[in-house]
Amino acid sequence: MHLDPFELHRPTSLDATVRLAGDLAGRFDYLAGGTDLLPNYKMHLNLRPHLIALDRVPELRGRSLERLGAMERLADLERDPALRAAFPGLADAVSEVATPLVRASGTVGGNLLVETRCFFFNQSYFWRASLGFCLKADGDRCHVVPQKERCYATFSGDLAPPLIALDAEVEIAGADGRRRIPLAAMYDAGGDGIRRTTLAPGEIVVAVHLPSAARGLRSRYKKLRVRPSYDFPELGVAVAGRWEDGGRVERLRLAIGGAETYPRRFDDLTSALEGGTLSDERVRALAEAVGERVRPVHNTFLLPDYRRRMVAVYVRRALAEARAGRAG
Amino acid sequence: MSSQELLSFRLNGQPVTTPCEPARILLDLLREDLEETGTKRGCDLGTCGCCTVLLDGRPTLSCLSLARLVEGCEVTTIEGVSPPQGLSPVQAAFVAHGATQCGFCTPGFVLTATALLKENPHPSREEIVRAISGNLCRCTGYTKIIEAIDAAARGGP
Repeated sequence: MHLDPFELHRPTSLDATVRLAGDLAGRFDYLAGGTDLLPNYKMHLNLRPHLIALDRVPELRGRSLERLGAMERLADLERDPALRAAFPGLADAVSEVATPLVRASGTVGGNLLVETRCFFFNQSYFWRASLGFCLKADGDRCHVVPQKERCYATFSGDLAPPLIALDAEVEIAGADGRRRIPLAAMYDAGGDGIRRTTLAPGEIVVAVHLPSAARGLRSRYKKLRVRPSYDFPELGVAVAGRWEDGGRVERLRLAIGGAETYPRRFDDLTSALEGGTLSDERVRALAEAVGERVRPVHNTFLLPDYRRRMVAVYVRRALAEARAGRAG
Repeated sequence: MSSQELLSFRLNGQPVTTPCEPARILLDLLREDLEETGTKRGCDLGTCGCCTVLLDGRPTLSCLSLARLVEGCEVTTIEGVSPPQGLSPVQAAFVAHGATQCGFCTPGFVLTATALLKENPHPSREEIVRAISGNLCRCTGYTKIIEAIDAAARGGP
């Protein structure tokens, strides 16, 4: 498939990138690894006349236990034993993104900002035209939950849930300089499903910052998908916490992706467990309570009722593995 | 950038300079402009791995790579894997183990396996399975492919 023409820009500094984004306001996409954007462009999904390639922007590089540059490739994270030792749940998620070939190009920032997915959206132009298009591209109504206000496409990144569970922050650059916010706040975008993040137009994710308290937590990521070697998550459950074997829970976080339009955390439920032991009964109650809140819709391969019932199962499994695993 | 801009990179060890529009995909450039058709177009969406090439030694989906971004890089396709005479060790092992049927996915597998053995000369079976999990074969199943890569790693066909 050939792509429609666009202009390609390849800035060599973050300042130049942000300036360019200002000049091209609303008429460009950032290009990181391309493994999400280019398939969507091949399907004629929300094409822009300009692409800003980020592969030559040095500020977006660099990897340590404190900071992951947005343009760090997933394959390189996967091969980093220090990262796995410090953040096992994050390492699970990284190594389960798509395939090794996708991870060879795919990046941290790209996965955090991966386009939401829906089987009425991820289709060819011809297919979508036959239905009169949808709210998310070229049309004005949703076919999943028929109405014209809200898009229900599914958040399908794997890295966000484990990073949210680690209380990671995201460093953002824009025309007004740089800022840092909790990663969870980046996704707290008001809920119409079209606005996917709180990033202002032209703003760019520079890096993810991992707090020192996140290092060595017990953590796991459990991913439900159709083909274990390839697919996007139908559900992704991340847990991260600190407790001694059989001892009281000092800290516990849980975040879910792949089930709704935005990744979500459940601090009120998990903090209620802090101070007590992580008994089977408490784990079961937490799993049920989370499962009650998650509302998948019928827009991915597996049926929403099944995905919803799997929430409690995957929460239990993630916590069981985190309990069995040693603190890092 | 003007759309007439020339792109320069090394293809299988040889310098190449060719006109290249910004929206040109590397796979299309290789097959249609440079007529190196060993690299196959399967799904064209990054699912199947048939279009795998090595970009500076790393297996890469050429169907999801903008050609302009390989400026100055080394691209290796299946045409560049074989020595001047005969076959590479991975290719010889694929032949010896009957690891091909229709052959369409084979270039991608050979490139993925070649890169794997360079990075990890003695992979376990599990590491082989994991490394090729982005390459799909719809004919043979994977047993013979895995056996061939394992044999190549052990130094025999």
